[in-house]
Amino acid sequence: MNDLSINIKKVLIIFLFLFLALISYFSYFVIVKGEEVANNPRNQRLAAKRNAVLRGTIYDRDGNALTKSIRVDRSTQKREYIGGLAFTHIIGYNSTKYGRTGLEETYDKELMAGSEFSFLDRFKDSHKLKNQVGNSIKLTINSQLQNLAYDQLRSTGKNGAIVAINPKNGEILALASNPSYDANNLEKDWQAITSDSNKPLINRALSGMYPPGSTFKVITTVSGLENLEGLDYKMFNDTGKLTFKGTNYTLKNYGGSATGKINLEKAFYKSVNTYFGNLAMELTNRKLKNTAEKFYFNQKIETEGFFINPSKFPEIASSDITNIAQSGIGQSEILATPMQMALVASTIANDGVMMKPKLVSEIISSEGETLKVIPDEPLGRVTSKEIADKITGYMRKVVTQGTGTAASVSGIEVCGKTGTADHARSITNEAAAHAWFIGFAPQDDPQIAIAIIVEEGGTGGTTAARIAKQIFQGAFK
Amino acid sequence: MKGKRWESRLLIATYVLCFAMFGSLYLLKEPYDTGAVVMAVIICLLFTYGYIIIRKFFPDGDKFIIMFTAVFAVIGIATLYRIDTSVAIKQVVWYTIGMTGFIALVVLLPDLKSFGKYKYFFMIMTLIFMGMATFIGQEKNGSKNWVALGPIGFQPSEFGKIFFCAYLASALKDYKKFKDLIQPAVIVMISLLFMVLQTDLGSALIFFGIAITMLYISTSKSKYVVICFLLLAVGAVISYKLFPHVRVRVNIWLNPWSDYDNKGYQLAQSLMAIATGGFLGSGIGLGYPELVPVQISDFIFSVIVEELGIIVGFGIIILYFLLFYRCMRAAIFVQDRFSQLLAVGYSTMIACQVLVIIGGVIGAIPLTGITLPIISYGGTSMLTAFFSLGIIQKISEDA
Repeated sequence: MNDLSINIKKVLIIFLFLFLALISYFSYFVIVKGEEVANNPRNQRLAAKRNAVLRGTIYDRDGNALTKSIRVDRSTQKREYIGGLAFTHIIGYNSTKYGRTGLEETYDKELMAGSEFSFLDRFKDSHKLKNQVGNSIKLTINSQLQNLAYDQLRSTGKNGAIVAINPKNGEILALASNPSYDANNLEKDWQAITSDSNKPLINRALSGMYPPGSTFKVITTVSGLENLEGLDYKMFNDTGKLTFKGTNYTLKNYGGSATGKINLEKAFYKSVNTYFGNLAMELTNRKLKNTAEKFYFNQKIETEGFFINPSKFPEIASSDITNIAQSGIGQSEILATPMQMALVASTIANDGVMMKPKLVSEIISSEGETLKVIPDEPLGRVTSKEIADKITGYMRKVVTQGTGTAASVSGIEVCGKTGTADHARSITNEAAAHAWFIGFAPQDDPQIAIAIIVEEGGTGGTTAARIAKQIFQGAFK
Repeated sequence: MKGKRWESRLLIATYVLCFAMFGSLYLLKEPYDTGAVVMAVIICLLFTYGYIIIRKFFPDGDKFIIMFTAVFAVIGIATLYRIDTSVAIKQVVWYTIGMTGFIALVVLLPDLKSFGKYKYFFMIMTLIFMGMATFIGQEKNGSKNWVALGPIGFQPSEFGKIFFCAYLASALKDYKKFKDLIQPAVIVMISLLFMVLQTDLGSALIFFGIAITMLYISTSKSKYVVICFLLLAVGAVISYKLFPHVRVRVNIWLNPWSDYDNKGYQLAQSLMAIATGGFLGSGIGLGYPELVPVQISDFIFSVIVEELGIIVGFGIIILYFLLFYRCMRAAIFVQDRFSQLLAVGYSTMIACQVLVIIGGVIGAIPLTGITLPIISYGGTSMLTAFFSLGIIQKISEDA
């Protein structure tokens, strides 16, 4: 054996080490860095793997499709939102770039759930395996009412929200928020959407926090009837304003008018601020807060398919009497979502029992088989049937002879409560107050409860009550 | 006779591998893809035929080399078939031509010793092929190393490699004193310079690896090796400062994510493919080779690992080493120095190519675009691999 052969053996050993080094680095890469690299958000395989299943469809309560998914290629699919702008906030969007919102997020798992396959099925039914479609969901939304609500808001030219619920089972019939945006062109419009000062991405019905104004008097009344015996028989002398010792603040009625000697019922349908300011002071902050919390203020409301921003009722020191008085008329630091106020109306309509609000009624397989029916669930009794009935009567009077006559519909006994809520900009006279209306119909057998807010829309009795009339008319057509 | 038992085991294992891979491909399509089975049968016939000829007519030669190439061809063609059927069909044609060339070399080539005297011919051919792309080359995948002559496109440096090894073997076989090294040193440096100018850094690295290995084996002097590495270091620093494309390669290697959308994209995709595959891989047809750039040639290893797993990746690396070992083994037992050096040169060429491209796609060293021998798609690459292996096969017979 010559020198060369010995050298060759040496070289062979060196290369052996080089190959071992390669394998070692390879192992190091996979074991130490592998997981981080695989989960890098830029790894399109994660999205591609998801896209193996064609996303399920979202239907309205009558079975009309609101979305459509189209297979582009093995690892991509296109989602089309065919319901129109009125549905954008409910459905949300499903974007690889901007994530998911709305039902696309809360029901993502169901919409992407492909069928389970055993090893043998792969051979027997490989066509089905390759064309998996996720489950579909059926909403409680009534498309006609939804479109009507959205169009009504749009016609005001202002921002706002409308919620309509079936008070008996918690089914949400309409959930509109204005302004909306087109989820079909998210990528193209993103810059414009996010820079819009009206913030179209926000679902105002669930996340918008507004002072509830006089619509909150429903809760003040419940608290008064529960805590102060014989309140509805007591008379109160309304001088048009309420003054407070040691401060120069005066709480006035709307327009400054005085109604004289009044009882609870009249104070309610005339929406007399002095009466409810005084009532709040009599109740004390603790008791009013307690009642508000029974209506789920300061609490997370259980729902089916969405998230409600918890409404706020403040804790006020007993010395801060002006704020306590204001809390009786829904001002102070009280903030409520339109959904919260719709649930207040709905609870009164449903004899004092609040139903769990739901947006989804059924989960359906891609073959049309019902996989799950979402049951009606009460969240609990908020107040007694007697009190609810009493307030129903008062709310009826609001529409027949009070502040909400603009909401009356011939042939249907509408009940309601208006609200004209001051907010920071309206107090400094920079803008109009928020216009509110909450209510339900018909009085004897309530089928629909609603809450309407038009931001800076003026008085509740005009702007919001007029929309309420349209909604009730549409619902009972 | 023990060797023969191993050969038949390897043969059977390769059949199993071939039918397992193409069998999966057969099931993948809708309706079943009979083309995959036809493909498997053709490939099996091809390498079995080659093996039988070698075994029957040249019983003294190495029989493992052709078997290892069969395994690589099976993995390569099956992966290409899964990515793009038409590419796989072309690759089968190249494989057939490669195998034919391999056998033709073994059958027709006279004793290799006699080629040792054509030093100047090899030298001129080396310089022509190395320089060709610098002057009439086109850019492809970021390197200006592609030449189109009429309808035929090829990578001249691939052929250059063959002559480069032959030249070095003929020049170094008569090594006596230091003066004998000057001419080969100049030729090596010119070749490296051409490669750097063509921005074909992978080939430059391979030429360096071949040259230094052959230098050491012929001179037995480790001080030369040390000097060469020092020169390489100096050269590397100079090219880093001088050529922006060298800096880009190094920066991407250090952090592929920093320039993800542009220069780092290829490596980042390769790393994500490998990492997602994990130990056992996603399975054939369940990975996403379409996301990996240049997936049929430079990055084919990442595609294979994504679908077949790290385990198969390990297997491929080990098998390349075994091929390298069998080739070097041929060199150990042959007496003639020219043949010996030639075998070493060609073996080192294949080994370096494997180390550079696999090291590159897994991020161990800066990525340079070269092919993975026999597995990657490409006519030139296939032909040079089979040509070198054919020569080594011939040498193994003389041993």
